[in-house]
Amino acid sequence: MSALLDIQELHVHYSDLAAIRGVSLHVDEGEVVCLVGPNGAGKSTMLAAVAGGVKPTSGSIRFDGGSLRSVRPEQIARLGVSLVPEGRQIFGTLTVEENLRIGGYISSDRKAAASDFDRLLVTFPRLKERLAYPAGRLSGGEQQMLAVARAVMTQPRLLLVDEPSLGLAPLIIEQIYKTLLELRAERGLTLFINEQSSARVLKYADRIYILRGGQIQLEGRASDLRDGDAIRKAYFGFSAGSQRAAENVA
Amino acid sequence: MISFFQNVIDAVALGSIYALVALGIGLIFGILRLINFAHGDMITVGCYALIVPSTDAAAQLLIGSWTPLAAIAAIAIIVLLVALSTDALVFKHLRRASPTTLMIASFAVSYVTQNALLMAYGARAKGVDFWSGVNVQIAIGELRVPLLQLITVAVTFALMMLLNLFLRYTRYGIQMRAAAEDFRMAQYIGVRGNIVIGLAFAISGMLAATVSLLYVTQSGSLSITMGVPLVLFAFVAVVIGGMGNLLGSVVGGFLIGILLTMLQAYLPPDLRAFRDAFAFAFVILVLLVRPAGLIPARNTIERV
Ligand SMILES: Nc1ncnc2c1ncn2[C@@H]1O[C@H](COP(=O)(O)OP(=O)(O)O)[C@@H](O)[C@H]1O
Ligand SMILES: [Mg+2]
Repeated sequence: MSALLDIQELHVHYSDLAAIRGVSLHVDEGEVVCLVGPNGAGKSTMLAAVAGGVKPTSGSIRFDGGSLRSVRPEQIARLGVSLVPEGRQIFGTLTVEENLRIGGYISSDRKAAASDFDRLLVTFPRLKERLAYPAGRLSGGEQQMLAVARAVMTQPRLLLVDEPSLGLAPLIIEQIYKTLLELRAERGLTLFINEQSSARVLKYADRIYILRGGQIQLEGRASDLRDGDAIRKAYFGFSAGSQRAAENVA
Repeated sequence: MISFFQNVIDAVALGSIYALVALGIGLIFGILRLINFAHGDMITVGCYALIVPSTDAAAQLLIGSWTPLAAIAAIAIIVLLVALSTDALVFKHLRRASPTTLMIASFAVSYVTQNALLMAYGARAKGVDFWSGVNVQIAIGELRVPLLQLITVAVTFALMMLLNLFLRYTRYGIQMRAAAEDFRMAQYIGVRGNIVIGLAFAISGMLAATVSLLYVTQSGSLSITMGVPLVLFAFVAVVIGGMGNLLGSVVGGFLIGILLTMLQAYLPPDLRAFRDAFAFAFVILVLLVRPAGLIPARNTIERV
């Protein structure tokens, strides 16, 4: 079986800066895969490259067998890839309802989009209460929920989620992960999630990649990585012996 | 008192024109971060399209002699197509360029448009007798109001209502608002960038066409650079209203119109020649107090 998302030897540059340097990874249908790495590792760049927001210098990105390179972001969305970006990027001057409906405009079947809207509100009762609010007035956790719901309104097969826990309280983070897993179970979504810390994602992920300096340092099944030493080494670039130094760096 | 009300009507009518021009500039700026100085030349194109292309001093009506409905439709379509083609020929190739580059490109488009008109119509200003029937005064009590000013205000408010309904309640309008707030995010969620940009140019083209008709009916004259002062003051209106905020553009447009009219009416006669200097001094004052304009947009400073 070929992977749903298959990335080979990807390089991405911002003018002179090499942000991604030869990354190969894959995400299989139905999996929850997490890309973990410190700030500046290149996680956001990876997701933006898949979603079409930045153009790779070289390498291949294939979704469901077809190449995504040189495909526009709005077309990639139509192919079934949806991004929940870092910092949520909800449309603050639009209402909550408009933020959601806009995701559904992708579908030519208006009835289906409308019934999907209703179905989604069952999963997000908080949003249902606030449909007429300007989205900018929502709390951080609600905005994150809205960003996820908006992305799901495009009826994706692959959901890319960039640091969903950023700036949120632990309880709310738990709730967001719970919702993501619920959406996966309900809709057969495949999840590709960025996080800075591996502690949380080990609990939810099937597989993990550790990214640092634009390169994959470690790959493995979450269940095999519960003992954190290998992760620490990959994350910081030195071994458990110098863990104190690692903690200072972190 | 009567003369004051007369001045108010003048002010609101002039403000309407500036508000329409400012809306056309504000719409494009919102989506593309392009300060489109060529917008004024779209207005000029709409004016010249009324007459037969020739370098004669006397203008002969062409489209301008058609029935009003046909003339309005033809001018709207012509200006819309020219506006869309400025995008297709120039701005489309600069999508990743900086706002500064885009603005300079709009100067280039402006000069090219003016020179194209120059070749077709000659450099001399022309008088034109277009819809002069509406240049009558109607009496409201003791007030004598030019009918054209009433039409100008009514058309402006009708267009602003329509635009508001479009942006608020249609799927394309909602997509335009989303793209104005965060273009890249809108694309990620499936909004087609080219459709939104095309709509922005099309709508701003139709607004320009409206200004063409109102303006030439009022002034009865044509010149190659007639759009330039309009776009300059409208740009000032956009800035004092708050860049990237359509309501701000409208408010700024009316403010500028009211300011210019009132200065013209109430400045001592020997200072009237410096009206524009007073107007700009006021603008600087506004910006000193509110650097982001009267109604700042949330998201104009940074965007990718
Ligand atoms: N738009 C950009 N322009 C220039 N450099 C960028 C841009 N975005 C990210 N970078 C750089 O690319 C590297 C990777 O950034 P990013 O993908 O945001 O990492 P992460 O999401 O893991 O924190 C960093 O060095 C960052 O400074
Ligand atoms: Mg990031």
